[in-house]
Amino acid sequence: MVSWSMLWGLFVPYISALVIVLVTVVLAWLVNLIIPRLVRQSSPQMGGAARRLGVTVVALIGGTLALQALGVSPGILLLVIALLGVSILVALWAPLSNYGSKYFSDIYTPFRVGDTIKVQGYSGKVLEINAMSTILLTDDEQLVSVPNMTMIRDVVVNTSPQAWKEVVIPVSLSGTIDLASFESELRKSLAKLRTRLDRRFPPVLTTKSRTPQSTELILIVMLRVPEDRDTITLEVNKRLSEVIEQVRGVKR
Amino acid sequence: MAPLSLCINTQTPLIQFLAPSEATLRESTRGGLNGLDGLREDVDYRFSPGGVTRMVYPLVRRLLETRVLEEAHWVAFNPRGPRTFRLDGLTLHSVSIGSGRMEGYGKVKEAIWGRIHEIDAAEPHDDLFWTEAFSEYAYYNRISAERIRQLDEEHDFDVFYVHDFQQMPVGHMLGTLKPKIFRWHIPFDASVIPEHWRATLTNYLNSYDVLVVSAHKYAASLTAFEPKGRILRLYPYVDPEDYTRPSPATVAAISKRFGLAPGDDVALVVGRMDPIKGQDRAIEALAMLAPEFPSLKLVLVGNGSFSGSKSGLGLSKSEAWRAHLEETVKTAGLGGRVIFTGHLIQEELDCMYERCRFTILPSVREGFGLVAVESWLHGKPTIVTQRSGIAELVEDGTNGLLFDPDDPGTLAEQMRRLLSSQSEPLRARLARNGRITSKKCFLDAAEKAERQLLAEVTEA
Repeated sequence: MVSWSMLWGLFVPYISALVIVLVTVVLAWLVNLIIPRLVRQSSPQMGGAARRLGVTVVALIGGTLALQALGVSPGILLLVIALLGVSILVALWAPLSNYGSKYFSDIYTPFRVGDTIKVQGYSGKVLEINAMSTILLTDDEQLVSVPNMTMIRDVVVNTSPQAWKEVVIPVSLSGTIDLASFESELRKSLAKLRTRLDRRFPPVLTTKSRTPQSTELILIVMLRVPEDRDTITLEVNKRLSEVIEQVRGVKR
Repeated sequence: MAPLSLCINTQTPLIQFLAPSEATLRESTRGGLNGLDGLREDVDYRFSPGGVTRMVYPLVRRLLETRVLEEAHWVAFNPRGPRTFRLDGLTLHSVSIGSGRMEGYGKVKEAIWGRIHEIDAAEPHDDLFWTEAFSEYAYYNRISAERIRQLDEEHDFDVFYVHDFQQMPVGHMLGTLKPKIFRWHIPFDASVIPEHWRATLTNYLNSYDVLVVSAHKYAASLTAFEPKGRILRLYPYVDPEDYTRPSPATVAAISKRFGLAPGDDVALVVGRMDPIKGQDRAIEALAMLAPEFPSLKLVLVGNGSFSGSKSGLGLSKSEAWRAHLEETVKTAGLGGRVIFTGHLIQEELDCMYERCRFTILPSVREGFGLVAVESWLHGKPTIVTQRSGIAELVEDGTNGLLFDPDDPGTLAEQMRRLLSSQSEPLRARLARNGRITSKKCFLDAAEKAERQLLAEVTEA
C-alpha cells in the first residue's frame, strides 16, 4: 500500500520545479520592468536589447534550476547549451557578425536610407539597410552590397548635404503603445530642446514598418551646431525612453 | 482598369450629426448606421456645406455607379457621428479627438489657414511647428492615419485620396508605398509661406504621388517647392443634377419668409461667416449704392463652417464675425437692407439663387469659388473677386465681372452695371456665357480627369 509520505515524496520534485518556474516568471517580469529604467540614458533600441538579454538570462537560470529540481543534471544541461552556442557561432559566424553590426549600425552609424556615403572606395546612395548588408546605388547605376560588418570596422563618410545636422534615431515601440499619444508627447518633450536644434526643421517621425507586435520608426532631429551632436543624441534618447514609459498605459 | 478600392480622407465629414439622436446612438452601438432613414435633415443631421464635401460626394457616387470604384471609404473628423455609417454605397468612418486636444488642433489649423490667406503676419508663427498646439495637430492627423491604416489592413485599398491642408501630414504618417493623392483646396502662393515652415510642408507634401490644386496660378507657385510628386491642376466641380429650379410659388414663399418684397433687387452672397469671405466688402459697396438704388437688398447666406459649428470643432469666429457685420450694418444705417439667413438647406438656397438679380463672391482670398458656378447654373450673373481661383475662368464683361477686394468702390461700380435700367443685355450675356463656362466645373468633366488620375497612379 502506498503511504501519504511516499506519495508526497513523488510530487516534491514537480512542486519544486513549479515554484521555481513561478519565481522565474516573476523575476523576469521585474527585470523587464527595471532594466529600461536603468538604461534610459541610452537609445530605446539599446534599452530593448538589454531588457531582452536580462529576461533571457533569468529564463535560462530559472529553466536550468527547474530541470535540476526534476533530477536532470545541470552539468550536462549547461554543456549541451554551451556546445549548441559554439556550433551556431562557428557555423553562422559571417551572417551573425553582419547581423550584429546591423544592430549596432542602427544605433550609432550616422547615415540612413537616401543619404550618399563613401565606404571602402565605393560611393553611392543608400538604398537599403538590411540584416546582412547595406545596399548602395553608385553614380553609374551599379548596386554595391557592403557587409554591415564593414560599416562598423571601416571609415564611412556621409557626403549628403547638411548630413552633420541630422541625428537619426531608430525607435522600436511595442504594438500596444498608442502611436498618436507617443508622437504628441514626444513633440512636446523635444520642443524643450528647440533652442539647441535648427528651428527650421522640427522633428520628423517616420514609420518604417508595422506589425501587430511592434512599430519601427525613425526619428530625425536637426542640430543647430555640430558640437551638440553627442549631448543632443543622449538627451533625445533619454526623452524617448521617458515618453515611451509615459504612454505605455495609454488606451489606444 | 479593374475596379478600385478607394479611401478618402477629409477633415469635414460628409454628414454632420447635430445632436446625438436616439437613432444614431442606437445604431452606432450596433456597429453601423445604414442610410438616413428615420433621421431628420437639419434636426438630426446636416450635409456639410462648403466646397470639399460638395464635390467629393457626387464624384464618388458617380465612380461607384460606373464601377471605376469597387468600394469607397471616407474617413473624416466627426465627433458626434457613429463610428461607421453607410450611405449610397459609401462607407463613412468617424474619427474624433478629446475636447482637450481640440483647441490646439484648431489653433494650428487656423494659423496655417490665416497665413496662406495672408490674414496673419508670418513672424508670430515662425515656431508654429514646435508649439504644444502642433503636438495636438499631429495627434489628430496621426489618429486619422491610424484609422486609415487599420481600414487598409481590412480592405487593402488601391489608392488614398487626402483632401485639404488640415490633413496634409496624413500621407507621411500612413507610411505606405501605395499611391497617395493630395488635393490642396485653398490658395497656394509660395511667397507667403514662412521660411520656417518650408521644411515641414515639403516633407509632408513629398509623401504624395500627385498634388492637385484648383488653379493654374497655384500649380505654378507650388512648383517652387519642387515636390517629388506630380502637380495637377483640376478645377473643382459640382453635379448640376443636384440643383433644381424651384417653382415660383416656393420662391415667393421663401422670399416672404426672409422679408423680401416682390419689387426688391437682391444681391446674393453665399459663404460661411468668416472674415475671409469678405461680406464686409459687400456691405460697404451696398452703403455706397443704397441711396441710388432704394430697392437694393443684400442677402447673406451661411453661418459657421464645420470648424465653427458646435457639431465640429466649436471655434467661435463665425459668431464674432456675424456680430461684427451686424454692427457694421447698424452703423451704416442699412437696417432692413441686409438680410442674414444663416444656413439654408439646398431647396431654400436654390430659391435664393432664383430670386436674386446677381450674386457676389466678395472673398478677400478664395481657393476657387464654386458659388459662382452655382450662380451660373441658376442663370444668374456673378461678380467675382480677382483673388479667387475661379477668376482665371472669368473674362470681365463676357461671362462675369471682376473686382479688387481691397477696393470696395470697384465692387460698387460693378454692381451699378448690373442694377442700371439698361443692364438687361449685359446680365443676359453674362448669364449665357457663364452657363457655358460652368461646364468646365461640372462633374462630367471632372469625372474624366479624376478617372484618368486614378488610372495613372494605380497603373503607373
